[in-house]
Amino acid sequence: MDLLSLTWDYLTTADSWTAPGGILERLVEQLLLTVTALVVACALALPAALWLGHLGRGGFLAINVSNVGRAVPTFALLALLVTAPWPGVSSFGPYGRAGLATLIALVLFALPPLITNAYTAVREVPADVREAADGMGMSGWQRFRRVELPLALPLVLSGVRLALVQIWATATIAALVAGPGMGRIVVDGFARDLYSQGVGAALVVALAALVLEVTAALVQRWADPVPREARTGG
Amino acid sequence: MRISRSPLRRGSLVRRGAVAALATSALLLSGCAGDDLAGDDSSGDSSEASGGGEVTIASQSFDEAALVTAMYQLLLEDAGYTVEVNLVDSRPAYLSQFPGSVDVVPEYAAGLADQLNTEINGEDAGQISTSDLDETLDAMAPLLEEKGITLLDASEAASQNAYFVTQDYADENDVTALSDLEGETITLAAAPDCTGRDDCLAGLTDVYGIDATLLPLGYASPQTYQAVIDGEAQLGQTGTLDGTLADQGLVLLDDDRGIQPAQNLVPAVSTEFLDAHEDVTEPLEELMASLDNETLGQLIARVSVDREAVEDVAQDYLTEAGLL
Repeated sequence: MDLLSLTWDYLTTADSWTAPGGILERLVEQLLLTVTALVVACALALPAALWLGHLGRGGFLAINVSNVGRAVPTFALLALLVTAPWPGVSSFGPYGRAGLATLIALVLFALPPLITNAYTAVREVPADVREAADGMGMSGWQRFRRVELPLALPLVLSGVRLALVQIWATATIAALVAGPGMGRIVVDGFARDLYSQGVGAALVVALAALVLEVTAALVQRWADPVPREARTGG
Repeated sequence: MRISRSPLRRGSLVRRGAVAALATSALLLSGCAGDDLAGDDSSGDSSEASGGGEVTIASQSFDEAALVTAMYQLLLEDAGYTVEVNLVDSRPAYLSQFPGSVDVVPEYAAGLADQLNTEINGEDAGQISTSDLDETLDAMAPLLEEKGITLLDASEAASQNAYFVTQDYADENDVTALSDLEGETITLAAAPDCTGRDDCLAGLTDVYGIDATLLPLGYASPQTYQAVIDGEAQLGQTGTLDGTLADQGLVLLDDDRGIQPAQNLVPAVSTEFLDAHEDVTEPLEELMASLDNETLGQLIARVSVDREAVEDVAQDYLTEAGLL
């Protein structure tokens, strides 16, 4: 049998999904990791980046500091974290072995797109719109809250969407330190010459990434304050 | 994400130059034999086929395999060959090119048997190796023929999986053999391919009755040692040739019910290559005959503990043993 049909067999066998350590269990772990890392990264990145965008200052520094995160390989960071005295490989609630180390690595990985997009989004609100807001007598906070933030929202959300898909795909590296997530099934499959399992699980990760991407795109469109028809002049 | 690396290690340019010169002189000496390099005049008497030409050795990159590979390399270079060595992370990475662009592989009898069986008969084909060397060789004979691989005489040295605990754990629980762990619930730090293997998780569960949970940290990896030392796992996986255990306060448990297959060292050679270059047989079989577990274990420790270069350790041993 060729790899394709073996992979199909693997994916259509109920046991592949429901067994302990099967696809469902690992999917939930990875989703949990991804969502947690995204929420934490947003909480860290967005307030600062948005406010700096409003002030129009310090963004250069913020973007470049966070871009260091892009230059450091996430796996190297993870390997460093698990060998350090803290957080090490200690289990972290439902996140399992090395859960905390994995979360930290993923959060740092998610910061650059969030910070860059959020800062740029507020910064790029047209100057005449800002001036109009000032001219109407809005305070700085009012201008930020009622003018800049709504106009910046689509770009901010596209940063979140980017971070989401990046985290999701990258979370598989946790397997390399025997951590949680779908990577375990991929690594296990290749280590045991069960290529169908490795390829099957990789396909599931890719499909789930598409689903997340589409969902995030829908949320982004829904949150857009300027309806699509109005923008295209249709 | 990258699952495996394929580091390519080659001799230095200087050495390659020297080898080329050697190979050239060997060619000149044997020049009268004619077109033996082409290797396709098999109708003639090829038993006199002489050294020279190129040979590609592929093997796995962990210290032990790299050391044995270095010995092969030195012996074949000594026989007048230009040797190219490819070290990769796992067997499937080179097995697809062997025989073909790879001519010689330092193999392990049982490992090769099971890998070939999976490759030829499908993922679910199971294991054909046993703890008996001759049985294992017989079982894989038809597979070898189908692939076009010939095995030379195997060594008595066997690199088998073995399991260790900390000395403290052994003392406190009065454990010296795996059977002493029967009925215990433990965590096992081992390679990710441990699941389902009769020489690993399945054997420990079914033959020894140990309730083991796998922590996939790798075979004899620093993480595996650390997990056992820290108590995250009670049992760790390594090999019979591991010379680093005592220094770390770790001790091997006896495989008293024999779940380990016959992983004797054995040179695997492309049949086509061997027909044209029969002179590779003698040095490799002499090497196999000279090695045993203790000798090899000490040599490996020089690489993995003392961080000596595999080439140096191989050179020392071959010189001392009178093989070069």
